[in-house]
Amino acid sequence: MVGEDLVVAASGPILDAAGMKALGAALAITITGLASAWAEKEIGTAAIGAMAENEGLFGKGLILTVIPETIVIFGLVASLLINSA
Amino acid sequence: MSRPKVMTRAVIVGHKSILKQTIEALYDTNLFHIEDFVEDESGFKIDKPFENAEDVSKKLVKIRSIASYLGIASNEPVVQKSGTVLRELDSKLDELDRGISDKTELIIQLENELKDLDSQKKELLPFLSINLDFDYFRGYESINVFAGTIKGSLEESQVSSITKAFELYVDPQSKSIVLFVAKNDADRVYELIQGLGFRELRVPERGGVPSETLRLIEQKEAEVGKKIESTKAGIDSMKSKYADFILASDEVLSIESEKAELPLKIATSANAFIIDGWTPSEDYDTVVSAVNSATAGKAYISKLEIEEEEEERVPVEYNNSAVVEPMQQIMDLYSRPKYTEIDPSSVLLLTFPLIYGMILGDIGYAIILGVLALAVKKAVKSEAVQPLMNILIYCQISTFIFGILYGEFMGFSLASLHTAHGTIPGLIPGWETITLFPGLSGEHVTFPVHRTHMIMTMIGATVTVGLLHLNLGFLLGFSNIARHHGFMHGLLEKGSWIIIEIGVLIAAVGILGGNSILTYVGAAVFVIAVLMLLKGEGIQGVVELPSLMGNALSYSRIIAVGLSSIYIASTVNDIAFEMIWPDHSQIGFAAIAAIIVFILGHGLNTVLSIIAPGLHALRLQYVEFFGKFYSGGGIIYNPFGYIRKYTEE
Repeated sequence: MVGEDLVVAASGPILDAAGMKALGAALAITITGLASAWAEKEIGTAAIGAMAENEGLFGKGLILTVIPETIVIFGLVASLLINSA
Repeated sequence: MSRPKVMTRAVIVGHKSILKQTIEALYDTNLFHIEDFVEDESGFKIDKPFENAEDVSKKLVKIRSIASYLGIASNEPVVQKSGTVLRELDSKLDELDRGISDKTELIIQLENELKDLDSQKKELLPFLSINLDFDYFRGYESINVFAGTIKGSLEESQVSSITKAFELYVDPQSKSIVLFVAKNDADRVYELIQGLGFRELRVPERGGVPSETLRLIEQKEAEVGKKIESTKAGIDSMKSKYADFILASDEVLSIESEKAELPLKIATSANAFIIDGWTPSEDYDTVVSAVNSATAGKAYISKLEIEEEEEERVPVEYNNSAVVEPMQQIMDLYSRPKYTEIDPSSVLLLTFPLIYGMILGDIGYAIILGVLALAVKKAVKSEAVQPLMNILIYCQISTFIFGILYGEFMGFSLASLHTAHGTIPGLIPGWETITLFPGLSGEHVTFPVHRTHMIMTMIGATVTVGLLHLNLGFLLGFSNIARHHGFMHGLLEKGSWIIIEIGVLIAAVGILGGNSILTYVGAAVFVIAVLMLLKGEGIQGVVELPSLMGNALSYSRIIAVGLSSIYIASTVNDIAFEMIWPDHSQIGFAAIAAIIVFILGHGLNTVLSIIAPGLHALRLQYVEFFGKFYSGGGIIYNPFGYIRKYTEE
């Protein structure tokens, strides 16, 4: 039974159109997520350093740290657009 | 859209003989922000502190070090008369100082004693099971005593093969031995035990049987321990006895020291002084009458006109009602507004909770977080926590309203929804979703709004909210600029952005409706607006054009973060309900585990529900909204004075 299923799966295309779409959407959000994380890591470290010197910089540090978040939001919008198209 | 309080610059001039009275009067009003004097060529100098300054700061250091030693934290204030505190200060401070140093010395001494006893005990332990009186270990002429530990085991036969004149005691557990041997054979015996890894132990100097001595030492240890406890309790009782005095005298001394050091901040000559500073205009008369009555009219006070270049230096005090006041925390976290700017706190009162509510939009979480915020507000009276809890409560009101609009309760949908794949039941039986009108990309706008089923429409809606928010920012920016540089400047710098959007809108309608005239009109409006922007802000403004789209799209996080919260909640619900009804027929014993999953999962999501929507709503204000009009960086109004908590005049 299990073997039969495998044969059926192997005979068709590995990725059909829906699969490609899903993969595209997944990549859009994964890569932008990684990019945001990378950027925020750098800024966050610097912001913590600045806060150690002067606690009053918390507000500014917070804003600077969340700025790259926009990248992943755009990724999310792109992946939703791919999915609904 | 209030503005900061209108300030008046005032200068107080007088003879040095009335300086003290003037300072007292200003301090009591707590309404005068003193501008630090910077020495220049005018011939005026800053003065020396009053003669009591050194004494006061010495006492202050002492009282603070005592306070930190005792670990005194601010508590419910017991108000005392400052005169009484000052009068009793010297004697009480001495008493306190002496008491504490006596007690700490005693503790150190007792702790040393305890260490000593402990090392005596350690010396004793190897001899415990042999239990020979230590006096037997010494004082012989013809006998050698070996007391120590060995690695292997020592049998009597091994010794008896060397000599008959011996007496051996072995404790097999601690491997300690005591061996009495005739002096003549001692060397050979020593060789034998050295082969077994013999290491000599120090024999305690005091005599007595080890077990008896141990009992005495332990008794003594207990006594010393008790003494330490009672001394520490004495310090604790001193802490509770003097806590109010310490807090009150810290306050009184801080006040005295601030007053005594004021001459360091003002301009003085040999006989005169000048105090330069700011006061809210509404309080100017109060300050004048306070100074006049304190100095019998001998001080001369005059208002100065605020020159335009001085506006940067005017200290800024908010001018908001009690409802708006909590939002000032959000403003101060970013930066105090400038004196010449609009203070957007009252706008934030509307927009911040609105965006927060749009993101979270869940009746269940609104109730949980609302009750939590009310409880914390009731329990913690701290001035730092109160405004934050108020903001959280504002946000939960908005979340509750959006929760009804979305029909969501802890991730469950309240109303049933008919879709192409069948009907999804809601939590409230009989509440059916009403389809209102078609939305974007084949979706339908419904009431309640099912966010998970109309994602594209919600992205469109949130970006529209964003555009409205951004344009509100442009309008505020226009108002800021128009007030100071005239209508034309405002129109060119900020109004042009709005006209650009109108142009794009007209062109879009033209393209979508197939009306080419409208498209050209839109394009023309767009070009004119870009030229206006070029004139208003220069090339920088034009380069910034694409950021408008980025800013607007950034608001799609409202739906994005909202969806993530829904999915976490509904996943928790799915797991929990799957566990309770494995085959949808009977309640299994997994129900308990299901309840735990339900509580932990929603607990986690509740915490996330403060952080994620809060941070994103905050960011949309700070980055997107403030970027359009706000510069900040005003000087914080910090009047010379003190709000007494523990003392009164």
